[in-house]
Amino acid sequence: MMRFIRPRLRKPVGIALFGTVYAAAWLVHGGNGWVPAIVAVVGTAAFAIAAYVRGGRDSDEDALYGSRTDERQQLIAQRSWALTGKVTMVAAFAGVTAAVADRAGWWWPFAVILAVGGFSYLLGLSNYGVGEEGPADDADDGHQVRSPVKR
Amino acid sequence: MRNRVREQRTQQGLSQSELAAALGVSRQTVISIEGGRYLPSLPLAFAIARFFDMTVDKMFDPADEEAGT
Repeated sequence: MMRFIRPRLRKPVGIALFGTVYAAAWLVHGGNGWVPAIVAVVGTAAFAIAAYVRGGRDSDEDALYGSRTDERQQLIAQRSWALTGKVTMVAAFAGVTAAVADRAGWWWPFAVILAVGGFSYLLGLSNYGVGEEGPADDADDGHQVRSPVKR
Repeated sequence: MRNRVREQRTQQGLSQSELAAALGVSRQTVISIEGGRYLPSLPLAFAIARFFDMTVDKMFDPADEEAGT
């Protein structure tokens, strides 16, 4: 879907979408939820504008904001996301461990994060080609193959 | 791994920005490649070599790494 949006607008639109959904959650919450909803809308609007402005500048981070990365910048972003995933998993594990030790009932959100993270990792292995390798060209097919290495 | 990107670029009187635009990468990536901090992908290495009318093995020299092993 994002492909139809100009690269420089992709991050700001994504930020604005997340902010709108978060603000809507506060409105659904009811009561005085409109206050944090307004704060969320104003905050994400400012963030989206800042992302758009930065997207036009000339640095690695600004290329990420502007969705116009080259291969090196994509690699940096992938490594950064990988680190994010690892830290999140460690934090979730620490959370579930602390909750269990405390006999608290708030263990399950951490368990959900761990489960989703683990599933995403397996999905990634599957999507990015682990297990796709075929048999080796020199696999034993019943013939005695002379080794090219002389002893 | 040593490379001759900076040498070839300056010989041709190009700025890093001009080379980056010609290769379709960022100026920062050209800087990283010239400094040896980033090894380009095979397609980009071929694009660089082709741009300077050289072969990849002339442009990128693994001698430093082999000497260290």
